[in-house]
Amino acid sequence: MTLRRIATVEDLHSYLHIAMQLEHATIPPYLTALYSMHPTTNADAYRVIRVVVVEEMLHLTLAANLLNAVGGTPDLSSEGFVPTYPAHLPDGETDFEVGTRAFSRETIETFLKIERPAVAEGETRFVSRERSSRALLPAVDAHEDDLHFYSIGEFYAEIGEGIRRLHEEMGDALFCGDPARQVGPEYYYSGGGAIVKVTDGASAAEAMRTISEQGEGLGGAIFDEEGELAHYYRFQQLLLGRYYQPGDQGGSPTGPPLDIDWDAVYPVKADAQLGDYAEPGELHDAIHAYSATYGEFLARLDEAFSGRPDLLMPAVGDMFRIKELATQIIRNPMPGQPGVNAAPVFRGLAPVEVS
Amino acid sequence: MADDSGVLEAFLTLSATLTGYSRFRLLGTGQAEPYLATTLDAVGDDALGELLSASTAVHDEAAGDERALDQGLRARILSDDKLGPVARNVIKMWFVGTWYQLPQEWRDAHASRQPDSTHVVSPASYTEGLLWPTIGANPPGAKGQGYGTWSSPPTLDLP
Repeated sequence: MTLRRIATVEDLHSYLHIAMQLEHATIPPYLTALYSMHPTTNADAYRVIRVVVVEEMLHLTLAANLLNAVGGTPDLSSEGFVPTYPAHLPDGETDFEVGTRAFSRETIETFLKIERPAVAEGETRFVSRERSSRALLPAVDAHEDDLHFYSIGEFYAEIGEGIRRLHEEMGDALFCGDPARQVGPEYYYSGGGAIVKVTDGASAAEAMRTISEQGEGLGGAIFDEEGELAHYYRFQQLLLGRYYQPGDQGGSPTGPPLDIDWDAVYPVKADAQLGDYAEPGELHDAIHAYSATYGEFLARLDEAFSGRPDLLMPAVGDMFRIKELATQIIRNPMPGQPGVNAAPVFRGLAPVEVS
Repeated sequence: MADDSGVLEAFLTLSATLTGYSRFRLLGTGQAEPYLATTLDAVGDDALGELLSASTAVHDEAAGDERALDQGLRARILSDDKLGPVARNVIKMWFVGTWYQLPQEWRDAHASRQPDSTHVVSPASYTEGLLWPTIGANPPGAKGQGYGTWSSPPTLDLP
């Protein structure tokens, strides 16, 4: 099957489902690295990663608004929405895997790949001309996904073009979604950018621009239109040990030094699975309670993105609760594995029980 | 004393018995190492070693018998002139995150170093105090965060 561009509204829905899956797929790896830091250490690195995670949540919400605007239905509770780590990103970048791992240089290198800049304008975004017919299904298995975009930016560029093409063909009928399902800016704080309600071509373009520019920058610039540093360069600061400041070129930050203690980190089990916690006890119970809580949280988001945006307020409280549960797990050792700490498992609802 | 991990293990066993919170919960606060270091710093190797040895002996002898453990702790540690005040300080530290200066009588009799001083162990030790789950509340402004969450009942793990 030849890779085709977005030609129908159904194609667009599929792409936007994958976009939501993609935005979410970055969050468990970022949170695991964030929460693996020892308490009250690594304040600089903690802030850098925290802001990126918050903005990924913004992107997830913007993708939901886009999908709702064109008559789609978000579904965060479906089987396969949460990848089993390590996984390829759902947009089909197959040259690296992301996982849930401790904060380290290697982990940040992976984060750089996640946020890497788009190669260029034009056709090159399709690294492969072939893909499986299943690749665009919303609940696609991340391991088998065969879409081949080089970067998240390339993937979103295709969505942006698809929206423009469909809008030209269909006119405003494209934006047939119920406006009551749109999440407004009042639900977002503590990060850069803003939630855009998507109701027409202009607001769709605005939402797309926020997602792309915050991620990997725009056209090689390291700061976006709001003067905010792109995620790729935020993470790069951690490896280079120095902050970027306005006027800097990519790769050469000249701001104040960043203080990082790579050793003040719990050595959490990489890519932990439920099966790693077979031994009965408090840790086992905590891992399963965490997974269930996370699943309930995703179900709450589903509701919020389906006409109940007010549910996002208590959902923020849930996020802090999830953090509490995760840090408690991470500070405990893995039984029988000296030098390895436990790590939360992000599944979803109805995790597979380990017998 | 045994090696570092042996000392931490003994400290956790004693702490779990003294506080009524499980090892998992104690480790989950991220404060076990800082509290052990704080205790060592305040009372010195000798007193800490004696406390942990007495605790290990009491736990071994009780062999899982709660009543024997309770009696042993009271007889050998809590009512001991040297070990009792240190054990009570460890309890208070777990619950409120603060090391309190030991009583003057203790320092006159047992201090082997500069006087210890009352201090909050770290910003995290305040928010991780066992006081909060014990009373069914969050540390104000530090947990249960999120806009408007003050209006909902606290969600937390009770002991």
